[in-house]
Amino acid sequence: MVASGPPDTGDVDPDPGATGPQGDLPEAAGRRLASGSFSSGLTVPDFAACLQMGLRPVGLVQGFCVMQWGWYGAGSQYMRGMTPFGFGGDAPRGVYSESYSCPHGGFAYSNEHRIWGQNYQQPWVEAAWAQGFGSAYSRMVEEAGAVGAHGVIGVVDTTRHLADMNVTEFHILGTAVVVEGAAAPPGATPWTTYLAGQRLAKLVEAGYMPMSVVAALASVRVWAYCVTEMLMEGTLSRFGGNYLPVSEVEQLSRAHMAARSLAREHVRSQLGNDTLQGALIVANTQSLAQGDEVIECALRGTRVRRFKDFDPMDAPRPTVRLS
Amino acid sequence: MTQPQDLPKEAGHRLEELEHGLFTSDLSVNEFLLIKEAGFHPLGFVMGSSIYHTGIQARRWSKSQELTKLTEAMYNARELAMTRMEEEADQLGADGVVGVRLDVNYYEWGRDAAEFIAVGTAVKAEDGTSHRNKLGKPFTSDLSGQDFWTIMQTGYVPQGLVMGTCVFHIAHRGIGQTLGTVGQNVELPNFTQALYEARELAMTRMQDEANTLEATGIVGVRLEEKSHQWGSHTIEFLSLGTAVTKSAGDVTLPKPITVISLDN
Amino acid sequence: MTEPIDLRAEMRLAADSLGKPAHDPPSRAVTSDLSVDEGLLLHSIGWEAVDVVFGASVVSIPPMVWTWGSGEIAPASDAHNQAVRGAAKTLGEQCSHVRGHGVVGVRVEVDVQRHHVDVELTGTAVRPVRGKDPNRAFVSDLSARDFTLLHNAGWAPIGLAFGASFVYAPRRSMGTTMRQSSQNVELTNFTEAMYAAREAGMEHMQRSALDMGAQGIVAVRVSEGPMWFANHAIGFTAWGTAVRLEAESHQYLRPEVILPLDDAVVEFEAQSLR
Repeated sequence: MVASGPPDTGDVDPDPGATGPQGDLPEAAGRRLASGSFSSGLTVPDFAACLQMGLRPVGLVQGFCVMQWGWYGAGSQYMRGMTPFGFGGDAPRGVYSESYSCPHGGFAYSNEHRIWGQNYQQPWVEAAWAQGFGSAYSRMVEEAGAVGAHGVIGVVDTTRHLADMNVTEFHILGTAVVVEGAAAPPGATPWTTYLAGQRLAKLVEAGYMPMSVVAALASVRVWAYCVTEMLMEGTLSRFGGNYLPVSEVEQLSRAHMAARSLAREHVRSQLGNDTLQGALIVANTQSLAQGDEVIECALRGTRVRRFKDFDPMDAPRPTVRLS
Repeated sequence: MTQPQDLPKEAGHRLEELEHGLFTSDLSVNEFLLIKEAGFHPLGFVMGSSIYHTGIQARRWSKSQELTKLTEAMYNARELAMTRMEEEADQLGADGVVGVRLDVNYYEWGRDAAEFIAVGTAVKAEDGTSHRNKLGKPFTSDLSGQDFWTIMQTGYVPQGLVMGTCVFHIAHRGIGQTLGTVGQNVELPNFTQALYEARELAMTRMQDEANTLEATGIVGVRLEEKSHQWGSHTIEFLSLGTAVTKSAGDVTLPKPITVISLDN
Repeated sequence: MTEPIDLRAEMRLAADSLGKPAHDPPSRAVTSDLSVDEGLLLHSIGWEAVDVVFGASVVSIPPMVWTWGSGEIAPASDAHNQAVRGAAKTLGEQCSHVRGHGVVGVRVEVDVQRHHVDVELTGTAVRPVRGKDPNRAFVSDLSARDFTLLHNAGWAPIGLAFGASFVYAPRRSMGTTMRQSSQNVELTNFTEAMYAAREAGMEHMQRSALDMGAQGIVAVRVSEGPMWFANHAIGFTAWGTAVRLEAESHQYLRPEVILPLDDAVVEFEAQSLR
């Protein structure tokens, strides 16, 4: 459900028969990384800052994973009321789900009256995303390890959906560095961070050491029940012929909160007592029909740990530019 | 002055005027001042262009492969534009070219033809020392004036703008393959491998160029992906960066002071 | 001025610390969407991030309110105001739950549709290092940087001031439209509708700030215009952070003057005219 480094590769390999690039870098990569000169994805200011703090770039490292990306749309796999947990069933422990039932006396006014509604977490989508991200990540770390790097800085990750090919590509890259004069990281597994340049220098100066990039996706499916549908679509209430007044659409508000909270929990479970720095939250809602939705929330950032006492920096000098 | 074999006559005339001490440059005032701060003087605005017809190559529907003919076309066209720009710079007696931009333009009159342009500002060291690269040519770099000053402070000097490209055809998937895994999100190792290899090829070629220049490394590497006019399954992976060499001298960049700007 | 720090030594120390147990770890994990700069600025005034917090609220708008009528479209305005209040309340509660003093850098995402308003707020709960628990958490869309500057100047944010208003732009009669078709005239009813919407929206915002006991509202942002699904309805929203002077008097920052030599970097761009 959660991807972070170093990912547990025993967990994310679904098909041991497939010969992916894991443990098997393309010939070109080996040749490139073995050549004498380094390449670095850093901008010049970031490169300068990197040298200033005693980091020696050894090469640009990257990892990929292309996943088939299926569609969990309305009716494609599950009929209304038929959740992956059984007919109207509840999710197993630890998986978010909540049901809503018709307040209109349980009487089916018509076949179309939605007497049932449910919000539930989709752990299988989350797991697939984590697999894609995790595999790409571990390949990047593998490349970095292969060139004897201590860490990977300036990590950039992109997730691209190639709709006409029905695939999603996970791509992660960064610049592998050696900390001059420092011992190899524990387990010889390089640390990773989204930060580079002066931002990284400032973080270290403030007493934090980056450990790994951390990312997770939460996915929540909403099957609207009658009240949600009426509120969202403005259909006439069949009870007394009135419209429903301005009111909170509780099922949706709760689903939105759930997706975000789940993403936060997924990441939290990877942090121990450390800090997630520079979190980036991207929430995306896909409307299917009449209040039915899929809400996805991705959260990523750098896990950092304090290595020295808290020491506030001097207040910066306020300036006004003359140009 | 020897007329370079490769440039149109008009370019020669424009450059002659520049030799009389006038300089032109698309640098901003800030960049101009920083170039001077780094010990260089701008000589003139230089450019190179090549209009290139890209050939056609058969693609196999279900096979991921490099389209070597297209790769060569994309590479040669850029190389021609760059070389012409370097010739202009050479004619001005420049040590290098900063702020190089590479553009591709498509015109309505030429299907399958594209114009590749390289533009930049030629510069020369004020103390007369040569900063030409290992091949005796002016260095090229896509660094801005600010970046140029910064890199000089770190003890590295630019050698050349290096690039590598790879045009790759990504296989279509057969109906049978798609049906077999319907409704599951699983890794497709062949796709992973194909995209991986395409990018690695581009980067390796870039690195090979850097090795030719005997560079210590490449900074500011960018990976770009363009489908140009070939449809979504054919992608050009272009990798670009500035090759640098460690020269004598250590990092002389002072630690920046922290300020908080009250400007909007 | 303290001794300049040896960054190389510091980096080595940091890298070598990875094999050792954490130094003075917090009692639970901390999450923060602040940038390094913002985190450091907060540290410089003795504050720290606690947790990323969210507030979301979806509120329905009854059908048929957009099409005909005159004056303010009260159900739509009410729905919008209620959604913002609801989301901000959840955000404040989440903040209090993790013992934060307030939420800074709140990112506001609003989606107004024909039948509902969807408001989503994301921010980071912050508090003074080893500070006491507050009575009430503030919510502010000011960045941590702005929060720090205000703090240094003696001011404190107290809450999100917000106002929304939707009004009908009356239709002109057929006769009027015909008469005006070849003239240069002010469309007074549109002007009036825009005025009414602005006035009502600003009024809502100001009232919400006064209710909090604010002395002012900073960084007000407004958005306005016709609704895409109903041309004859005009929407107006205004956002800002309500502030109050906490110190005895305003503290002057006395900025230094600098002359920077940086431009926006010229980025490579291959243009393909597809």
